[in-house]
Amino acid sequence: MTTKTDLLGRPLSKDDLELLDLYARLKALSARHDLPPVATANCKQAMVMLWNACNDLALISEEPGCD
Amino acid sequence: MPATESTFWNPKTETLPKEHLRALQAIKLQKLVERAYHTSPFHRRLYDKAGVRPEHIKTLDDIRRLPFMTREDWMANQAEKPLFGDLVTRPQSDAIRYHLTSGTSGRQPLRVLDSRKDWSWIADMWCYGFWGFGIRPTDTVFFAFSYGSFIGFWGAHYCCEKMGCLTLASGNMTTEQRVKQIVEMGVTVVCATPTYALRMGQTAEKMGIDLKKDGKVRRVIVSGEPAGSIPAVKKMIEDMWGGKCGDTAGMTEIGTIMIFECDHQPGGPHIIEDHFIEEVLDPDSGNPVAYGQRGERVVTSFGRGFIPLIRYRTKDLVCKVPHTRCTCGRTGDIYEGGILGRVDDMKLIRGTNVYPRAVEAVVREHAEVEEFQIVITRVDSVQDEITVKVELKPDAGDCWPRLQAKLGKDLADAHEGLRFNVEQAKTGELPRFELKAKRLQDLRPQY
Repeated sequence: MTTKTDLLGRPLSKDDLELLDLYARLKALSARHDLPPVATANCKQAMVMLWNACNDLALISEEPGCD
Repeated sequence: MPATESTFWNPKTETLPKEHLRALQAIKLQKLVERAYHTSPFHRRLYDKAGVRPEHIKTLDDIRRLPFMTREDWMANQAEKPLFGDLVTRPQSDAIRYHLTSGTSGRQPLRVLDSRKDWSWIADMWCYGFWGFGIRPTDTVFFAFSYGSFIGFWGAHYCCEKMGCLTLASGNMTTEQRVKQIVEMGVTVVCATPTYALRMGQTAEKMGIDLKKDGKVRRVIVSGEPAGSIPAVKKMIEDMWGGKCGDTAGMTEIGTIMIFECDHQPGGPHIIEDHFIEEVLDPDSGNPVAYGQRGERVVTSFGRGFIPLIRYRTKDLVCKVPHTRCTCGRTGDIYEGGILGRVDDMKLIRGTNVYPRAVEAVVREHAEVEEFQIVITRVDSVQDEITVKVELKPDAGDCWPRLQAKLGKDLADAHEGLRFNVEQAKTGELPRFELKAKRLQDLRPQY
């Protein structure tokens, strides 16, 4: 992730960066079509949970699109 | 600090200074309008017609440039392009949940779809409320809820799983079985409509169970009826259960709750302002009313991706007061007294929306009906009942048993399974009208 601030322009903390990184990685996995169903479905479940954390903490405002 | 010791589900945004909260809402609004314009043909038409484009939304005040969205428009869109209209932003195949609520007219329900992400967000909004009212992962939570197509407590159930509570579903149980399990399992939190919380309390009494002594319930969370914010009703529930009673309110159109009472209970629920913009407007002029004045709730929701809800006229009557009324630290404003009533004629019966004109549309499908009347009563102080009295045409013959059964089924089908009593009135018994008909009598006590 290249974002340096949250939606309010505040600097991101180490925890924020970790959450954003996890979300980005899970989103990338969720968008893939070559993984077995067990991986895709569970990545999507995990990804939307991370979306909630990042969205609630005002780190992102987007639709993941691959849920 | 360990997570369980936090007062807030989301300390960062629940306590944001008001100006920061407004800034966050403005940013989310810009992105929401942009998305809606490009992914929902319904919204694009609406905005094109009003001459407004996403780039016009620069500040929070610019929300007033956006046209209102109404339930009538939504339903007309669904009727024109079944089943979901072109309001939805994604194909049906992307959805994981389908729910519905009774329509404003006729048999057509309002249908909603949710994606995996939407459904998770829906549960998260309940987490704000449950955590705020003191529910923690160590709680055992019981849902007195039917788990049908009505969205009701579905999101709250998933919220409790997400929080780590022991979550008990009771969809198929009788009231007696529910009471028994609540005691047997040492349930600490009960979720129900206010009416049903009272009914379970009465049933417990009849079973010889003193819930205050025999049970461990410390919180009763209610939803689905305005009575949840009426102090007299709350006191009855608390006297029966021995636990504190807190109100929440949501709607199928949002999919979740937008307000909840915090543990401090300042006289009304807080608005979850980092996820919703709640305007309070004069229902006639559409202009904002000041703090402390009654007006119509108009909601914009940032969470549901499948269905953008922007400036949606809810027809709920509310009175907003500043967050400083409460000492809990949340900066979300408060609806004093909860949902106070309706701008329109919708009635809530056991958590289900009933529009008189929808009932009429079903009744009038039967040519044998001469006149009818809808009567709403409260039985044993707790149970709301809706009865449709029907007067037959003189030449209707002996159709009554068949008609009674058919009407009961049709009305239930049009109202998420809500049971209607259907009674025959004598010839000439029901009032006739020359001008504006008043076929509904709501005989429930007014608090």
